[in-house]
Amino acid sequence: MAAELRLMIPTKESVEPDDRQLVQTIRNGEPEAFEQLVRRKTSKVYSLCYRIIGNAEDAKDISQLVFIKLWENLDKYDAAYAFDTWLYRMVTNVAIDFMRNKQSRDNAVNSNLRLVKTVTDAEQGVVVQRKEIENVFNAVSSVLSPKQKTIFVMREMDDLPSSEIARILGCRESTVRNHLFNARKLMQQQLKKRFPEYSRLWEERT
Amino acid sequence: MITCQAFRSRLEPGSTDVEVLEHLRSCDACLDHALQIDPDNFFRAIGGGELEPPGGVDAFASDVMSQIRMRQTEGSVARRFLIAPRRLAAAAAIVFAIGLSVVVYEKANKTAPVQVAAAARPAQLATKPVVETYDSKDATIVEVPTEGKNDPQVVMIFDESLPADL
Repeated sequence: MAAELRLMIPTKESVEPDDRQLVQTIRNGEPEAFEQLVRRKTSKVYSLCYRIIGNAEDAKDISQLVFIKLWENLDKYDAAYAFDTWLYRMVTNVAIDFMRNKQSRDNAVNSNLRLVKTVTDAEQGVVVQRKEIENVFNAVSSVLSPKQKTIFVMREMDDLPSSEIARILGCRESTVRNHLFNARKLMQQQLKKRFPEYSRLWEERT
Repeated sequence: MITCQAFRSRLEPGSTDVEVLEHLRSCDACLDHALQIDPDNFFRAIGGGELEPPGGVDAFASDVMSQIRMRQTEGSVARRFLIAPRRLAAAAAIVFAIGLSVVVYEKANKTAPVQVAAAARPAQLATKPVVETYDSKDATIVEVPTEGKNDPQVVMIFDESLPADL
């Protein structure tokens, strides 16, 4: 009997509508459902923004802007396509615009930065190293164009396949691969120049 | 998450294995090994996982919703201002149309008598000349007596040979 009762209680998964259903609910005049959509997608949108922009506060502002644009353009969404692809396209457009406007200013600041390795005890050493990779990435990726960085982040950090990235950016898969190739090359050059201790990793392989 | 042993045995250069990537991004002990196998894991190691915005998801969602409400309010005010000029423009167009029709009407009324007068004058001159003398055998001429010196003198001529319109 208890088992039967459990089956009758709707689970979280069965109650929650999928993205397309949620969009349809909002379009049908229930704007409260938009808050549900925001909560569902916040981490995804913020993570991508943060990795592209490299600054928590700017990433938060850009994420908010993305959701406002999403609200304003929700009637343009074609349910024939995956909602996340459409959302990612919006994120990348807003983030790339932001980067283009800010890049020249940031480049001047970043070029003067040199990370100082933190000497810590054995237990903390690896943790610091991982954090340091993030700092190294933020420093060397400043030489990339906003589009190159966006593609690199989506491929290497969000694990999106090249075909999906091409769909998001509205370009060919070969273009994505070219941008990736150039991004890796530029970043390795920067590593060699600014962080030779890490560039040795690639040199040893070749 | 898979064990370190499983990770090390399954790790290959350019691996897209979800479990392998998950381990790469969370196990510090395996990081050096991962970099030796594939240096591209250097940046791949900081990916994955979803981050939360400063202040948390709830505060973020509330901020977004309040900004949207604010924009909606601004939008409705802007629309109200947008409607007012439209109404003003429509009223101005009606006033202009009425004014224009009055002007046209007045102009038409002023020009009509002028045209009639202009047409009447030559007709008067052509068909009704002033007759100062008249001489005919068959005519009967009657002079109407006047009451004062300033009164015009009226003379009636009865002649069957005269044209009808004279």
